[in-house]
Amino acid sequence: MSDAGESDVGGPGSARRALRRIDGEVILLWTLPAAAIIWGSAFLLFPGFRSPMSPTMPADQVAAFYRDNLAAIRSSMILFNWFGVCLVPILILIVMQIRRMAHRTPIFSYAMLGCVASGPALFLIANVCWLLAAFRPERNPELTQLLNDFAWITFTILVPYLIGQSVILALAIYFDDQPRPIFNRWVAHFNLLVALALVPAAFVGVALTGPLAWDGVLSFWLKNIAIAVWIVVMGVVLGRAVYRERAEQRQRLEGPEELVDA
Amino acid sequence: MSAVITPPASSATPPTGPPHHRIAWHLWRSPKRELWLAWAILVAFYNLFFPVFFIVAQVQPPPQPTWDLATQVHWFHERQLGIPIGFGIIFAIGGMNAINNALIAYSMRRMSVTRAFGYSYLIIYSLSAIPGLYLLCIALIVGTLRPDRDPEAVGWLYDFAFLSFDGTMGVFLIGSLIWMVAILIDKNRVFPKWFGYLNLCNALTEVVVAPCWIFRRGVLAWNGQIAWWLDMVVFGVYQVTFIVMLFQMIRREDFGTGPLPDLARKKAQKNGEA
Repeated sequence: MSDAGESDVGGPGSARRALRRIDGEVILLWTLPAAAIIWGSAFLLFPGFRSPMSPTMPADQVAAFYRDNLAAIRSSMILFNWFGVCLVPILILIVMQIRRMAHRTPIFSYAMLGCVASGPALFLIANVCWLLAAFRPERNPELTQLLNDFAWITFTILVPYLIGQSVILALAIYFDDQPRPIFNRWVAHFNLLVALALVPAAFVGVALTGPLAWDGVLSFWLKNIAIAVWIVVMGVVLGRAVYRERAEQRQRLEGPEELVDA
Repeated sequence: MSAVITPPASSATPPTGPPHHRIAWHLWRSPKRELWLAWAILVAFYNLFFPVFFIVAQVQPPPQPTWDLATQVHWFHERQLGIPIGFGIIFAIGGMNAINNALIAYSMRRMSVTRAFGYSYLIIYSLSAIPGLYLLCIALIVGTLRPDRDPEAVGWLYDFAFLSFDGTMGVFLIGSLIWMVAILIDKNRVFPKWFGYLNLCNALTEVVVAPCWIFRRGVLAWNGQIAWWLDMVVFGVYQVTFIVMLFQMIRREDFGTGPLPDLARKKAQKNGEA
């Protein structure tokens, strides 16, 4: 990561120093569509997601669910375990774009950096609980239900850092005062909207039935659709910012020769 | 770590008028708006955080580790709604904690020390929330989810919750020590040296809490006079102090790289320029 002084302001050779190293960003960016296809497939493969498992299922039925769907549960959760963290490089690319914004301090990029790993880490806890429940399906059904509850509650409630990163990104965009901002204002509004859509899932523990339950309209459908839409929209917006930066850098490099040799 | 130093278009002079106009200007227009906003979020976060734990969820001060299973089940039953609503608020606002950590990391960035201090603090404290806060909340929510759950399983959730909360130590211990060392070797006078030693006090609370993994009763148990009450008092003092310290740092901030000017000297300089 670049250090202070490598900014666009003044000094001999500063134009050259201002060229941030961007090699490989495109590779990281294009891992997103591949990861999204894997996430989507794993999501559809897990029988508990296709029509979300009811929290009111008695323990015996929960145990039977694991006994009857062993292969699909294991394979979908192993896929999620392998590729869940693919979100991290994408979030880091967003951090790199925040650092190009016209801010006086790195507060927003620091805050975003603090968020990136925690969402996937909470997801991995849910993932391990699902795999654990499937490991010994003959276990006492009460214990299988406990692991299942732990997995579902953790999966549903993992929103704090997703809300955090959307709000931080929105604030960073609002404070990006320059004639050609890195992201358009609507991206900030969009992120606030997504953050709002994720809030109800935080209250998943309130009820076993209804819109707030883990299979409910707000806690399951609204939250997961919001995350999916965020991934698609931010993937496109981020891609445009990354390619624009590359074009700008190429232009600078192809500019007056003395600048390159400075 | 870099910030693109581009002065915002707004004027650097605060407007005159009613206090809420001036506060709004500092948060939205002032050259220090990023820092003031982060500080305001930090204050708002802690003002919600403690009432939620003590009043809404009523899970602090912690219950007795020695209770029998029937009493533990009863304890969950009494908080059937308080825990999921209270912790719902925690999960909704929890991401704001990243901004608090970012502001503290920024304080180290302003010091005459390597950027490694700020980064280390940021990563350690970002990690700390999972074992030190969210696991407690998830375990207690799962505990309230089914009143008819086997008491043995409820008892396991009870231990898991309070031990992961009290017994997550290293992240806070090493995090505080990193801030302490940065303050003590800093030549930019960002914070007074005594505040560095206050960080040591906070770090030591994480040492004396370790016996909560061993003792079920007495002063060292998870709800004991040392492991909980003394630590909470120290943390309370530490927290109020660092909020004030960060406030003073932002007031003195000149966006330079040398020693942070004193407030009085800054004023004198301004008068001299005028």
